[in-house]
Amino acid sequence: MFPRPRLILPLLALAWSALAAAEPVSFEQVRAVFEGKCLECHNPEKTKGKLLMTSREAFLKGGESGTTLVAGDASKSELVRRLTLPKGHDDIMPPKDGPLPAAEIELVRRWVAEGAVWTAGVVLSAKSKEIEAARADLKLKLPTLEKLQIFPEKIGLETKRDFHRIVVFATFADATTRDVTAFANLHVADAKIAQFDGYSVHATADAGQTEVVADLGGLTARAPVAVKDGQKDRAISFRLDVMPVFMRATCNSGGCHGAARGKDGFRLSLFGMDPDGDYLRLTRELVGRRINLAIPEESTLVEKCVGKVPHSGNKLYDEDSIYNKNILEWITNGAKDDPADVAKVTGIEVFPKQIVLEGKDATQQITVRATYSDGTDRDVTNFALFMSNNDPVAAITKDGVVKSGERGAAFMLARFNVFSVTAQVIVIPKGLVYERPKAAEVNYIDKAVNERLHRLRVIPSGTCTDEEYVRRVFIDVVGLYPKPEELKAFIDDKAADKRAKLVEGLLQRKEFTELWVMKWAELLQIRSGIAGNNNIPPFYKNALLYYNWLGDLIGKNVPIDKIVVDLLSATGGTVSVPAVNYYQSELDRLKLSENVAQVFMGMRIQCAQCHNHPFDRWTMNDYYGFNAFFAQIGRKNTDDPQEVIIYNSKGGETQHFLTKKNVKPKFLGGEEPDLKPGDDRRRVMAEWLASPRNPYFARNIANIIWAHFLGVGVVDPVDDVRVSNPPSNPELLDELAKRLTEYKYDVRQLVRDITASAAYQRSSKTNESNAADKLNFARAQVRRVRAEVLLDGISQVTETPNKFQGLPVGARAVQIADGAVSNYFLTTFGRSKRESVASTEVKTDPNLSQALHLMNGDAVNDRIARGGVVEKMINGGKSNDEIIRELFLRTFGRAPAPVEIKSVTDAIAAEPASRKVILEDAFWALMNSKEFYFNH
Amino acid sequence: MKLHRNCEGNHPDVLSALSRREFMQIGMIGSLGLSLPSMLRLQAAEMPKVESFNAMADSIIHIYLPGGMAQHESWDPKPFASPDYRGPYTPIKTSVPGEYVGEKFVNIAKIMNKLTVVRSMTHGEAAHERGTHNMFTGYRPSPAIKFPSFGSIISHEQGSRNNLPPYVVVPSQSIPEQGTGYMSSAFGPFALGSDPADKGFAVRDLLAPKDVTTQRFDRRRNMLAAVDEHFRASEKSDAIGAMDSFQQAAYGLVSSAKAREAFDLSKESDKLRDEYGRNTAGQRFLLARRLVEAGVRMVSVTYGGWDHHSNIKGAFDQNAPSFDQAFARLITDLADRGMLKRTLVMVSSEFGRTPKINGTNGRDHWPRVFSVAMAGGGMKEGYIHGASDALGGEPDRDAVGPADLAKTMYRVLGINSDKRIVSEGGRPIDIVNGGRMMNEWLA
Repeated sequence: MFPRPRLILPLLALAWSALAAAEPVSFEQVRAVFEGKCLECHNPEKTKGKLLMTSREAFLKGGESGTTLVAGDASKSELVRRLTLPKGHDDIMPPKDGPLPAAEIELVRRWVAEGAVWTAGVVLSAKSKEIEAARADLKLKLPTLEKLQIFPEKIGLETKRDFHRIVVFATFADATTRDVTAFANLHVADAKIAQFDGYSVHATADAGQTEVVADLGGLTARAPVAVKDGQKDRAISFRLDVMPVFMRATCNSGGCHGAARGKDGFRLSLFGMDPDGDYLRLTRELVGRRINLAIPEESTLVEKCVGKVPHSGNKLYDEDSIYNKNILEWITNGAKDDPADVAKVTGIEVFPKQIVLEGKDATQQITVRATYSDGTDRDVTNFALFMSNNDPVAAITKDGVVKSGERGAAFMLARFNVFSVTAQVIVIPKGLVYERPKAAEVNYIDKAVNERLHRLRVIPSGTCTDEEYVRRVFIDVVGLYPKPEELKAFIDDKAADKRAKLVEGLLQRKEFTELWVMKWAELLQIRSGIAGNNNIPPFYKNALLYYNWLGDLIGKNVPIDKIVVDLLSATGGTVSVPAVNYYQSELDRLKLSENVAQVFMGMRIQCAQCHNHPFDRWTMNDYYGFNAFFAQIGRKNTDDPQEVIIYNSKGGETQHFLTKKNVKPKFLGGEEPDLKPGDDRRRVMAEWLASPRNPYFARNIANIIWAHFLGVGVVDPVDDVRVSNPPSNPELLDELAKRLTEYKYDVRQLVRDITASAAYQRSSKTNESNAADKLNFARAQVRRVRAEVLLDGISQVTETPNKFQGLPVGARAVQIADGAVSNYFLTTFGRSKRESVASTEVKTDPNLSQALHLMNGDAVNDRIARGGVVEKMINGGKSNDEIIRELFLRTFGRAPAPVEIKSVTDAIAAEPASRKVILEDAFWALMNSKEFYFNH
Repeated sequence: MKLHRNCEGNHPDVLSALSRREFMQIGMIGSLGLSLPSMLRLQAAEMPKVESFNAMADSIIHIYLPGGMAQHESWDPKPFASPDYRGPYTPIKTSVPGEYVGEKFVNIAKIMNKLTVVRSMTHGEAAHERGTHNMFTGYRPSPAIKFPSFGSIISHEQGSRNNLPPYVVVPSQSIPEQGTGYMSSAFGPFALGSDPADKGFAVRDLLAPKDVTTQRFDRRRNMLAAVDEHFRASEKSDAIGAMDSFQQAAYGLVSSAKAREAFDLSKESDKLRDEYGRNTAGQRFLLARRLVEAGVRMVSVTYGGWDHHSNIKGAFDQNAPSFDQAFARLITDLADRGMLKRTLVMVSSEFGRTPKINGTNGRDHWPRVFSVAMAGGGMKEGYIHGASDALGGEPDRDAVGPADLAKTMYRVLGINSDKRIVSEGGRPIDIVNGGRMMNEWLA
């Protein structure tokens, strides 16, 4: 039967192909087609034609053209119809290079016909060129993957509406991070409990537990999912669903309807601080217009926002956006006000919080989760406002996608309701050749600073020379220029711990105390004649007593917390109990409470006087709650105009600016204390303020001390602590504050730590990586010496004593008690007038008058003549070189270079008769040099 | 909701889409990888462009009469009101037919045909420092932002000319509102530090000390360059750079006799000094003229005390004649020198005074309506803008607010006040928030 096999073979072949045809199309086969050809447009970012193809549910839901997919019937499926249209047809898919190869179309057709099987929980993602490139790039990096995380770490799904957007976050060995949500194999373990829709997970069962799982590079991350009432709905709420739209769409911002007068006849409360008022204005003003209950879509509130009618603020969002849906649903349901017990937002959190992006144009999705007083939470990424504090380094889109730019550090601020939180972003160059330097690590300060520099890939400067160090600590610790003999003693000292020894000696000098008395006197505004009037208290005598009181306490090393409590709870007369003069420095009660917050906590709460702070956590309730501690200050005059009695009047309340209701005293950022009528509110507040219960106090004091020595605060300016002005190195500030508390607020101890640290002892010479850095302590900052210290320094090097009002001849400018006492030099060089508590009162900014005064004024020229320093040296038989050397040591704290000596000796050689004059001119030149009046 | 006393109510809209990017400049200078120049470049790139204007005037003399000069006794008399409103004086006719000024303005009455007088200035601030703030910045005071004075803005926008500081206050900065507000002190005023009316008046530190000859000064300068070299070469900081530029400015001033002479009143003839008046008004105004003549962009002069709560007649008798004489002479002097066309002179005060004479024969604070006078710089001559009502208590028509005045003043100097400047806190702030350009004032 020879021919038979020839028949059989084709038959076999047929049978094989029939067999193959019978084999159902696997999901992985169509997945490759979808991901390669369709997902580029039908992904959560673009959702072309309103169709999402990432999950089976989304697929089944369909898009603009209705149902996309009828499982089991290819002929009724839009998907197949669109794929099979002739080339060039308007509706063909893919629109650009369709149709697909016949085999791929056939694959899809069969997959549909076979019931469109989908591996449970799988989420598709595009495989576009960029994404493929990213995937390839990730593949190279993957071997160094160290950690894989899912955010949020725990997912609670409380209603049918509830969802959480998932971010998969990878951390690599070099500390860089990536958003790998699109690349990880992401799925829900039990699809009957919860499923993905795009990257958002939502409940499919009424209750149950499961987890979200992500696999990548051999690592697996899991996040538990708890579903509760997953099939129930919740009512739409004005406060929780509608008000957030006003914030997100910036309807209630200061430039639009949030302005005090509103805009175009419609007003909303600024940043939604007054929901009751907003409800009233929306529903009771112009009834039927803003809200049309009969035809909700024709409410102006709807039409204006979606751009159906002209709107000065233009179209704000699409008609089918969640924003419009919320508003429409609320109106459709009768535009009802919320019940009194409606949940309140209790806080928000961003994920991820620490991001290190590598190279330009790397992206990272940030999500925001809000927690509510009823124990639920929601993903509010859609409703949060995002801002970057440093756009060139990292910009953020309104949907929370961070995009890296130039090298540096930035903070992303997310704001929702009254809460603001930040995520930190560091951007480092791609392919940077960097090896962590073995930077000196003396104590906890260096640990924090070096770690930060490492993360930024910044190499710190080396250690300053002994000459630089001695000059630097003299000026910083005691406000004096080192004398040549002091300099010599230090240089000659061969002890290994001589730097610490030097500081120890300086800390015991009275000048150390005096410097800090001056700094506190500035913050406490010790001055007579406030408000420019010398006929009302405090008088000069008051200021003097007050200053002496402060000096006495600091001199005895009384800890700052104790001083602050004594100060703020003081009761008595301005003469007999000098501390009460604090309450005479500001008579306006609102300003007084603002000053206390600014000086002792570093917070500026002024904004919250009239509206919730737009970039910080402070609400008007916080503001007036804190103010209520100052509501019962009694003032009583006596026969002596200099003696005003400050006492606890036991009566008086603070009214809320908006509600006009009395506000109960509440610590700023703390709780409401239990107060009985008659309790001294100031004392209660003071004892909380200056205690570890108030986390801001120690941080603030530590930051003030740090800023004095390093020239820039960890939070800078030191009196502008706010969420949107975060510390440049949070770990450092935490640690400084912790130590200060442990040291029982002993400033000296903290000064020892700071001056011992490698961070403080760095050279001011820059390297390529730290030249632009000012905030991370990679190098010493060059700082102009402050007015008082400079004048004292001039007095010292020229040997000409000062004379100030109320002080003996030879007293130092640092010792001036009353801020109203001043002189031309001090005013010109930016002495604090103590007119406000702002840290900017002390100015070290240069100006023309300063330059002129040093050049031509009496401070230098006359004092050189008056002190006769050069003359004395000449009479003492010193040589030119010796005199020049001595002048350099006095002014610059270093020996002159040969070329510098030569510039003077050459001039003398040309004109030997004018030796003294020339040497005095050299002295003048030294004092006019920036090296003299800058601390470096 | 009533506007709060501290609230401008229309803060720059930091959250709007337009300004969001501009807003967040916080921490930028300090952050890594972004040096000052690149930040400035960025600011220039990010700030919305505004139309640029051609300057109509090269400089401005702003004469400020602190305390609040009464409108009735000066620019806006009410000759037909009853005596308790009219006040103690009999208004006099001026060179503009039908217009009167206060009895003490005898010289000003003659040059009225060179002035633009606004009789419908109004704002709501009855406290001195708050009214002053309005009239020096064009803004209502705010607890959140310190606004810069006109002069600081002009310094910032236009810089120095002929080795002279762009912004000079005469005699000294007695008013905090003359300061730089949120801007760097590099734009602060140069204060004379002494009064031109003093005998032997000289501006501090302009001249090298007597025993320092030019030759010696040069030697000092050379030595300074030599000893400064080490530090300059090794240390880099913005403050060092700024101080360097001030040192150069100081050299310019010290070594340019011409620049220095701007501050030297003795270069004026005795006759002219007498004509201005040998008093604080006359000598300050004369010095102001010298300064703008030499190239200073803005001179801010204060004169007198005008807070006349009691005995307004006695106080006016004392203050007004010197002002009258000096101001009238200033205007004619500028006109004689051909400078008036390119020099704006503005006379203002923080507010006016109550229409009715009070129980102590004075007048109290009244910001509802008061007057501002201007001359030169392209302003109309002999023009009266607006009017107060019959008693001088409310604007009757064409009210003008501080922002309108500021906007127009900047326009004349060639500055578009719609421009935004980034404050230290990172808020971009309009030079003037709104305001109407008063085109009808311009010739």
